[in-house]
Amino acid sequence: MNLLTLEKVGKTYGKLEAVSDLDFGVAQGAIHSLIGPNGAGKTTVFNLITGMLRPTSGQIVFKGEDISRMEPHKIAQKGIARSFQQTFLFMEYSVLDNVLTGFHMRHRAGVLKEFLHTRGAREADKKATEQALEIVDFMGLGALKDELAGNLPHGHQRALGVSIALACDPVLLLMDEPVTGMNPTEANEMVERIRKIRDRGITILLVEHSMRVVMDISDMITVISYGKKIAEGLPAEIKQNRQVIEAYMGEDTDAA
Amino acid sequence: MTYGMLGLSFAFTIRVGLPRFDSAAWWGVGAYTTAILMTKADMSFWLTIPIAGLVAMAVGFIVYRIAIPRGMMVFLMFGMVIALAIQQLFGSVEFFGGWGGTDVIAPPAIGGLVFDGKRELYYLGLGFLGFNLLCYWALMHSRIGRSWNAIGQSVKLASSVGINVVRYRMANVLISNFFLALAGSFYMAFSLVAVPATFGLHKSLNVIMYVVIGGIGYSLAGPLIGALILAFVPEYLRVASEYESIITAVVIILVVIFLPGGVLGLVNRKAVPRLVKVDWSRLPGLRKLLGRGKT
Repeated sequence: MNLLTLEKVGKTYGKLEAVSDLDFGVAQGAIHSLIGPNGAGKTTVFNLITGMLRPTSGQIVFKGEDISRMEPHKIAQKGIARSFQQTFLFMEYSVLDNVLTGFHMRHRAGVLKEFLHTRGAREADKKATEQALEIVDFMGLGALKDELAGNLPHGHQRALGVSIALACDPVLLLMDEPVTGMNPTEANEMVERIRKIRDRGITILLVEHSMRVVMDISDMITVISYGKKIAEGLPAEIKQNRQVIEAYMGEDTDAA
Repeated sequence: MTYGMLGLSFAFTIRVGLPRFDSAAWWGVGAYTTAILMTKADMSFWLTIPIAGLVAMAVGFIVYRIAIPRGMMVFLMFGMVIALAIQQLFGSVEFFGGWGGTDVIAPPAIGGLVFDGKRELYYLGLGFLGFNLLCYWALMHSRIGRSWNAIGQSVKLASSVGINVVRYRMANVLISNFFLALAGSFYMAFSLVAVPATFGLHKSLNVIMYVVIGGIGYSLAGPLIGALILAFVPEYLRVASEYESIITAVVIILVVIFLPGGVLGLVNRKAVPRLVKVDWSRLPGLRKLLGRGKT
């Protein structure tokens, strides 16, 4: 049973087809990777799923519900969280405050109570803080919890981006290049964490350039090029696929 | 103190990344609501205060339903148009008394206490300002405030964690409207007359100056300090009052160049409280307007 299904999804800008007739499904509990050469439309697909962009055709179905025309915040509330390719963080918040903002959808005490800072609101805050600390620790940022996000080194910013997404308590987590720009040690740690996140029961859809990582952790891989699906299968199958190799020809990948 | 309240409301919407150029117009809406209700409906001053606030919220809601979903730039432009439209309305419609100014009303009184002396008005103003500060403080330090700050820092990320950006921005702007109108009611208590020219665009720009001079990163103290400085400095410099606005302009330019954090930024250069700081890169339009140039 697929958690997320894209049916003939297309996105055109005038005559330019960024994504065309894209079909694929993400199975519950899987780590599913979406790969392709630069400009293939991977981030566009993410934007379509999260509602940042609206598809010009086709349907995106999540848990049996068509979400293709919903507002981004509605989709987030349905249980899809994402981490961004460029590091989007609340740069002037501390690490902990960043994660707390991700708790927006949980622990609501009600507007009036929050305005009056009643005991209920304070307790909701306290509970959120505890859980936020847990996430921060899990992502290896425990020692940096009071540091401003803007002052963190790149690798930690990436980890923080994922922490914010986790704070949303997602069913499906979209990760846009979580290890890009990381050194090998950081990358390995991140891979381990991605596995752990999956083991917590969160389904993961991943866009990543590092073939080593993709081949290592994916249960299923979908390859797109120029907005079209060119292959799909297990890592071992994708490695052998002629079309995929052709599409990547001349591309600078660290496939090794 | 009125100016302090105006400044507060500007700094308030800045938190959600929406600079407003129509603060003075809504201030005028408050003033006119109070004036008209008192003269034409014989209503007590105190009763007109919440009504003024609600009028500004209701009209604001209708007006901003179009602008807020379309982002910051549209909001900014829209604000200017609305500001001019509201001023025009006060001036041209007979009911509001025309361009020459309008209604003179009796000073507010409660029991035997009449607010007509400087001293009484001072305490009345302090009450208004205190109420405003208290509400803003409570809001900014709640989860709602955190969400507002989040929107101000990154609209995209905020919506990806499930924050309804449009609704939160709308709430913020309407609350700001409410207090602008309250400032208008208070203004009527001491000016006793409403003239359309008072509520023009240049006043709104002045309001932004309070915030910039005080320190744009400080949503509560900044506007107050700024308003205080700008209320007194020109008074003392009134060697020639026709140069007042030029002097003000020079001061602004100097502050922006040498004290980008405002007066408070000077006092507290290192320990900037993180909850009340604005990222300039999120406000390209305003930055250009204020001549900050590129960072």
